[in-house]
Amino acid sequence: MSSTTAVMSDDLMVNDFITRGAAGPVPRLYGDALVVAARADERIMCLCADLAGATETDAFRDALPDRFVHTGIAEANMIGMAGGMARCGLVPFVHSFSVFATRRCYDQIAMQVAYPRLPVKIVGFLPGLTTLLGVSHQAIDDIALMRALPNMTVIEPEGPRQMRAAVEAALAVDGPVYLRMKRPDAGYHDDGEGSPLLPGQAEILREGTDGTIVACGLMVEAALEAATILEREGASVGVLNMATIKPLDRGTLLHMARRAPVIVTAENHSIVGGLGSAVAETLLEAGVSVGFARVGLADTFAEGGSTPYLLKKFGMTADDIAAKFRAAAGRSS
Amino acid sequence: MQNSDASHRQPAPRVTDAAELRSVARELRRQVIRLVRPTGQGYVQQGLGAADLFAALYFGEMRLDPSDPSWADRDRFLLSTAHNTAIFHATLAARGCIASDTLFSYCKDGSPLEINASERLGPVIEATCGSLGQGLSVGVGMALAARRTGRDFRSYVVLGDGEMQEGQVWEAAMAAGSYGLGNLCLIIDFNEMQVEGHIDQVLKMNPVAEKWESFGFRCETIDGHDFDQIFAALKRSREAVDRPSCIIAKTVPGKGAPSLEGIFGHNIKLPGETAERALQELDAGEFA
Repeated sequence: MSSTTAVMSDDLMVNDFITRGAAGPVPRLYGDALVVAARADERIMCLCADLAGATETDAFRDALPDRFVHTGIAEANMIGMAGGMARCGLVPFVHSFSVFATRRCYDQIAMQVAYPRLPVKIVGFLPGLTTLLGVSHQAIDDIALMRALPNMTVIEPEGPRQMRAAVEAALAVDGPVYLRMKRPDAGYHDDGEGSPLLPGQAEILREGTDGTIVACGLMVEAALEAATILEREGASVGVLNMATIKPLDRGTLLHMARRAPVIVTAENHSIVGGLGSAVAETLLEAGVSVGFARVGLADTFAEGGSTPYLLKKFGMTADDIAAKFRAAAGRSS
Repeated sequence: MQNSDASHRQPAPRVTDAAELRSVARELRRQVIRLVRPTGQGYVQQGLGAADLFAALYFGEMRLDPSDPSWADRDRFLLSTAHNTAIFHATLAARGCIASDTLFSYCKDGSPLEINASERLGPVIEATCGSLGQGLSVGVGMALAARRTGRDFRSYVVLGDGEMQEGQVWEAAMAAGSYGLGNLCLIIDFNEMQVEGHIDQVLKMNPVAEKWESFGFRCETIDGHDFDQIFAALKRSREAVDRPSCIIAKTVPGKGAPSLEGIFGHNIKLPGETAERALQELDAGEFA
């Protein structure tokens, strides 16, 4: 008997296979922060539609089992239950993949969460083009859907450094919140601290005198790269992390746009109804005329694939952002 | 979490005498006609059909304090279909939960007394339902919250029979059964009528009781116009502490006004003379 055969014994647990299947350890920044928050605030409940690992709520499930509710694969009911709980003084955080936490139960969110302005925090993972699973699991319109609901706050952390603070941000909003979350990539090194995320406040990551890239989520990193590419060409381009997409930080946006009238938006989402639309509406209504372009899924469904492959295929890389900026600014490279 | 203060606070007195409740229900039926008559809006047949259930729940069964609709230990009531408001609003007014003089703004522009009950009316409307299939989920969440916060209030959900066609109902049913929610009581207003007619002509749903039982509910079928049967079923529901209850209450659309009884009209108009005749029938009827 080889040693390999010996390992394949009764001692193997299901978690051994799950661990082996992963590309490497992934820090549980959001999930651990939710447990910390829940220990300090006993109103917090955690509801999960059969995706505890993928939504980082396995820690909550194990640490605070009396406050964790397995809803089963039934998102519409999960939202209704959360509404009922919130009406009785609890603060439910509900979890699934972004596409199922929003599109699949839209009417339930409208009637049982948004209309009554209840403190239900809807937490979705796998935003946009971040899954191999394919079009069924890709949330490309969730920002648009949630943004269209009165009373809803929409927040997408820039990346791992803002994931802990997303919990506090959701709690700081007295009402419904949609958190659009992406787990860190395997091997992400966590410094144990992270950055703040203040609801409704854009973060100026980089100043620029020739224009600004307004980005959210994983496109912030691409926006910074694009600004570096453009800098090499002699353009001074700022980057704004618009982690709160609704309500939009109008003041900071208009300040940047007036100072340097070229604005390019970048989002891991359809260009219809999301960050780009929100920015365009705000600028037009304020009477600020800018060179303008949107980077995102160009009104199309995508497909399963690795994130770098998909971002390249669908025109959402740093090079694409830089190209859109040149066009919006009337520059040639 | 906070605990119940129900033990040292008195809810509104309950009426459980059948003769007295028949009198209450007769007056509620009169109000249904009066509310619907001026505009022709509102649901007459369903209101007359559910009057006995509403009288039993609001006057006899539920713990509530009309002077404090936000009392944390009140029993929760959810009308999942939400449109059966002629009877719902009439009952709230008769019980003192809303002012009677607001009733006659029903269905008029600007009034919070809309056809579909909404929380514009205040905390007496526990959730804005009417998008069918959602009420049971909210009731399940409230029952879970009671368990979590150590309170002993109960969740009562009234569901339409046609509403059972919504898939979310069965998601909620599965959850309630799985969690063993003894503090949840579902009442199906089983009038066998939906927009397109008899429920079985639209989508066959029988056997209904067996469905609920298989989802983990204690289920019984009763005559929804017999107060003795209604209260006996509600009592057995309270005694079943380890699982949710489903009471299938058979009701007759238009009950109490013989000229309207049994007419399957989801949203019938009520011309003045028809309304007058119905009022006369109610005055002279078996409950007089």
